[in-house]
Order: sequence, then C-alpha cells, then structure tokens
Amino acid sequence: MEAVVVLMDNLWVAIGAILVFFMIGGFILLEAGSTRMKNAGHIAGKTIFTAGIGTLVFWAVGYGFIYGDGNAFIGLSNFFYGDASPADGGLTPAVDFSFQVMFAIVSLTIAFGGFAERAKLSVYVIFAVLFSAFIYPVVAHWIWGGGWLAEHGKQDFAGSTVVHLTGAMAALAATIILKPRIGKYNKDGSSNNLAGHNQVYTSLGVLILWVGWFGFNGASTFGVADGFLGFVILNTQLAAAAGAIAAMFTAWAVTGKADVPTTLNGALAGLVAITASCGFVAPWAAVVIGLVGGIMVVFSMKLFDKAKLDDPIAALSVHGTVGVWGTLSNGLFALPALSTDIEWGQAGLFYGGGFEQLGVQALGVVASGAYAFVVAFIILKIMDKVMGGLRVTEEEEIMGLDISEHGSYGYPEQMALEEVKVSMAATTEGKYSTR
Amino acid sequence: MKTYESIKIWKDENIPSFLSDSVLINNFHDQVMLKVLEVAQSKMGDIKPPCEFTWFITGSGGRFEQGVISDQDHGIIYEFSNEENDAYFMKLGEEISYGLDWIGYPFCKGNIMSSNPIWCKSLHNWQQQIQEWMDNESWEAIRYLQIFYDARTLFGKMNYVLQLKQLIYQYQLEHPMLLRRFIANIMHLRNGIGPMGKIIVEQYGPYQGCVNLKYSAFLPYVNAIRLLSIKEGIYETSTLERMRRLIHFDYEELLRDCEDNFKLLLQYRLSLLQGEDYTDTHYIKIKKVSKEDRKIIKRIIKDGKRLHDEVIQLTLSFTRT
Repeated sequence: MEAVVVLMDNLWVAIGAILVFFMIGGFILLEAGSTRMKNAGHIAGKTIFTAGIGTLVFWAVGYGFIYGDGNAFIGLSNFFYGDASPADGGLTPAVDFSFQVMFAIVSLTIAFGGFAERAKLSVYVIFAVLFSAFIYPVVAHWIWGGGWLAEHGKQDFAGSTVVHLTGAMAALAATIILKPRIGKYNKDGSSNNLAGHNQVYTSLGVLILWVGWFGFNGASTFGVADGFLGFVILNTQLAAAAGAIAAMFTAWAVTGKADVPTTLNGALAGLVAITASCGFVAPWAAVVIGLVGGIMVVFSMKLFDKAKLDDPIAALSVHGTVGVWGTLSNGLFALPALSTDIEWGQAGLFYGGGFEQLGVQALGVVASGAYAFVVAFIILKIMDKVMGGLRVTEEEEIMGLDISEHGSYGYPEQMALEEVKVSMAATTEGKYSTR
Repeated sequence: MKTYESIKIWKDENIPSFLSDSVLINNFHDQVMLKVLEVAQSKMGDIKPPCEFTWFITGSGGRFEQGVISDQDHGIIYEFSNEENDAYFMKLGEEISYGLDWIGYPFCKGNIMSSNPIWCKSLHNWQQQIQEWMDNESWEAIRYLQIFYDARTLFGKMNYVLQLKQLIYQYQLEHPMLLRRFIANIMHLRNGIGPMGKIIVEQYGPYQGCVNLKYSAFLPYVNAIRLLSIKEGIYETSTLERMRRLIHFDYEELLRDCEDNFKLLLQYRLSLLQGEDYTDTHYIKIKKVSKEDRKIIKRIIKDGKRLHDEVIQLTLSFTRT
C-alpha cells in the first residue's frame, strides 16, 4: 500500500509539473491578446525561448541555489542537476526538479510582462539568464529552501510571494526603466487605452492559466495523502470565481461598463491571491480572499496608470499588488489545524493567532519584494548602460517588434492591410486640407 | 465685409463678449454665417441667384444651441430645377462650405453641407427626397429626417422649410410606424450615471476624467423633445422653444424641470469652459467643477434620462394603438 501511495505521489506531482508548464500557453495567449497585433508573434515566440533559457539556467544553477546545502541566504550545491535515483519513500528527485523548474519559468514569464511591446529581443535573452540565476532562486531559497524566512514560519503554500511577487517586482523595475510605450500618455498627462488586439485570446489565456493553477496549487501538496489536494483545488476554484465576479462588478460600478479585460484580470487576481493561502484557509475565507483580490486589482490598475507606470498586461497589479494581499491573507485567515497543529507557522489573526503570523508574512513580503526589485533594478540599469539602452528604437516600436526583431509579422495579411489603410488615410487627409 | 478674412478677424475679436449667454452667442453665430453667405454670393461674380432660394442651418446651429465652436450643418432649397439653377446653387453651396470652414466652422464629418447634392436641391426634388426617406426607413434615412427636422431658415423664403416639415408631420399621422423608426434611432442612451450614483467620466484619452455633456446630458433632452415635436407637428427648432410649445399639449408633468435644466445646461457649457481652449466644447473635467455644480449636473443627467425613457414609452404606446 505504501509503495502505491509513493507512486501516486510521484504521478500527481508529475501531472502538476505538466499543468504548470501548460500555464506558459496561457501566458502566451493572455499577453498576445492583451497587446497589439504588430507585436503578437514576438510576444508569443519570446515566451517559448525564454522558457528554454529559464529551464537550462535552472538546471545549471537555479535548483542548486534554492535547495543545495548552503546558508540562510543561498544554497550552494546540486548544480547541473542529474540525480536519477528512484523513489525512496518520497518523490524522486527528478519529479521534484521537474515540478520546481516550472515555477521558475512561470515567475520569469510574469517578469517579462513588464517588458512588453518595447524591449529589445537581446534584453529578453540576457535578463532571462540573470533572473533565473540570481533573483528567483534566492527568494525561493529563503522561503522554500530552508532559508531564513522558512525558519520564521513563513507560509506561502504555492508561491504568492516566491513566484508572483518576485516576478512582479522585476516587472516593476523594467516598467520604470523602460518607460511607457509610445502613445500611452498625452502631453497633458492623460493616458490612452492601447487596447489589446484579441479579447478571445486573452480570455482563453486566462482559462488555461486557471486550469494550470490546479497543478500549481494542487500539486504543491507534494502528494496525495488524505486527498488534501482536493481541498486545495476547491479553494483555488472558489477564489478565482470570486475574483472574476468582484472585478466585473467593481469595474461596472466605477466606470459604468463591465469591462472584459478587467473581468479577466479579476479571475487571475483571485488565483494569485489564493496561491499562498490555498492550503491554510477555510473555503469561505477563500471566497473572501478572492473577492478582495478582484476588487483590489481594479483600483491597482488605475493607480499604476495614474502613476504613469505603463503596464500593458497588468502584471504589476495582478501578480504584485494581489500577490502581496494573498501572502498577507494567511496572517488573517490561516486555520489552526492547518498551521499551528502541523507546525507550519501560526494561525491567523481571526483564529486567535494574534499578529504574529501576519507580521511574519509582512516581513516576507517586504524582504522578498525589496530583494527582487533592487537586484532586478541594478541588473537592468547595468544592462541599459552596457547594451546602449533596453528599448528598441522609436521607429522599430512603431513598426512593431514582429518585424523589427524577427523579420516577419504574426499576422502578415492583416498588417499589410493596416499599411494600406494608413496610407489611404493620409491621402484622404491631404485631400481635405487642400479642399 | 468683403472677404472671409475680414469676417474671421471680426468674429475672433467679438466672440469673447458673447460668451456669457447662449442666446447672444447664437445670434452672433447667425450674423457671422449670414456674412459668409454674402461673401460667398459675391464670389459667384456678377451672376445673381437665378431664382428664389432658402439657405437653412441645422444641427446645433439649427436648434439655436451652438457653443463656442461647432461643425457646419446646412443646406439649400431653391425654387425649381433646371440646368442653370442646379449649377448655380451647387457652386454656391461649395463656396459657402469652403467659406465657413475658412472662418472656423469645420467641415461637417457627416457631410451635411450645401456642397453635398443631397442637401442642395430644388423644392420639388426636396419633396421627393423627403418622401423617399420616409418610405425607405433605413437607418441613414431616418437620421437625415431627424437632421432635417432641426433645420432653421437663415436666409430666404421661410416657407420652403415649413412646407417640407409639414410633409413629415402629415406622413407620420397616417403612418405611425415612422415614429417607431425614429424611436429605434435614438433609443440607445449612454449611461451618464453609474450604478453607485457617480457621474461616469471618460476612462482614457485626452479627455480622461471628463464628463461628455453632449452624450450624457444634451442628447437625451434634444432627441426626446424632437421626437415629441415631430409627433405634435411643432416646427420650431430650439429645444427650449419646443418645450414651451409642448407644455400646451398636455405634457406639463412629463416636462417638469426640463426647461430649467436645459437652460442651465446651455449655461454650463459656456461658463465652465471660460478660460479653457476651445478645442471641444462638450467635455468638462469633473474634478474642476464645484461640489454644488456637480450635484446640479448629476440632476440634469438623471432628469434627462427620465425624460428620454418616458417619451419613448409614451410614443411607443401611442404607435401601438
């Protein structure tokens, strides 16, 4: 019986790895749909090759920095991972590695959300290497790899902080350094809506991410014991549902329109919010956490827009702002039976745990967020100097990164048509002004 | 004044002194446009108009509701069609449109201009065209009919426009379906107030944070009152004048507060824009408006929606019987 359970554990986590990797497909559709046609091929394609880079770097050094033997700050063994030993009462090292590497790739993809529609291709290549080596693994080591935050009892079930906040902070650094896309802000400070080109892609992207999240959270149980994975999946589903609805009604109440992209970001916000707490809280709390996440994401998007931080796919709000909320929510809602009793931190404020766990969660957010932001900022600043700018030229940006970085459009027929329209509009205008 | 340039100088010099009052500024626009007509006629050389004609303006100008700047909307009706007349008025129409644009009334994007053959015809051809529009009932035709219903004679024989409007009135008496088509054309109303009771503002673009008075406030009043006027055969064009006439048709309860609201609205558009540049006269930054004024604007928008909805209900039930 025990052997069967071990095999099932391995199988479930392997399925989880596959589900999490499929989230990259969700990101491709989400990001491509949320941006303009002229950049669609580029955004889709770069997501694939940065996943490749992320994988190799994680294999070479990332895993070792997280889980290797080392100190409270970083791990320092198990580089160039190659442990083929079979299951010995637990997960095989290879299954564990496969699951872990997918999280690193997801975090990297989130970070690249902040680069969209204006960064050079070479910037993606180099930053993918540096992020996967020096940013993600350090935070992951602190919280999951037995580092100093783990010792404090930091609760982050599947990675609100480790994966989402880390990615979002790198995205924030990039957003600040890259500056807004051409045409996003007017001279008087008002902003324009550079609408994404395909809401169907974006919706499908969100749905794929949603499904993938069952692996992301569900397989973070690392096993099938007690069927606890079902509880985690239930919480995940509830929070996502609540987030979508909350964001839609909030947008409707504020702007008078039930905006589709905002609704979609609400679902993602629910998912990000429950990521830290899915294994710690009661289902009713999952609903509350998702609702709050969905409301927050709407106002967060507005605030970033006002602050002139151009965030084309709302990565800062969805993964950053809501990632913080998700992590803190543990400090409020964690059940004693799923925390104190199993010696994983303390119960939340609402269960008599006092402010202790909330404090630990806040410390984790501040320390991890600050580390990810500062290091990403320094790396990008140096790259900016060395590479003569992170951004494509104005002309290339207007042409679109499909053609400037890759030599062909993601939508060849449509883009040709656009050019005809533009030249026709110019002709008509010419006619007008000369009467 | 012999040239467009001299009119433009005169207009730019004098318009600031009319900014305080909607009636004054509309009278002034009328004067300016009449002078443009004079110059346009003089540009035709020695040729005098070969027959009687009317030059009318429509849109906000026709309704006597122009702000500081608006597009040109106008047309010509002449006595009878022959080769000479057709050519003369077509040329005059083109000249007028050019002149208006020159002095600051931009070309109409919908091409409602005397330079467009659709809007420059003999009386007989106009009668035919209006008949066709009414029979045709296409979205475009209904839109044209509504635009025509706001026509106001600026120069020439008044009764040409009246005759044509009577045609519309008579037709809808016999064919209530026409009213239903008018309703369908104006039924959609942009929400001006959100579910939480806040004024809805532009989310993006150069007018971020502004309320669009044209869509949220003006149009519900203008469209509802025009619809009632078509139904009752009122040929005045200004929304305020139409309201004053409609009161006598047993619409007192329906029109309560509406005249005051609309007057305030015209006033707001002028007063709140003082000191702004005149690029667009319908957007108002809500943050710059005092709390009191915000309350009033909100009430105007709410009452406008009520009027709009009630007029549609009432007209619909009338066309069913």
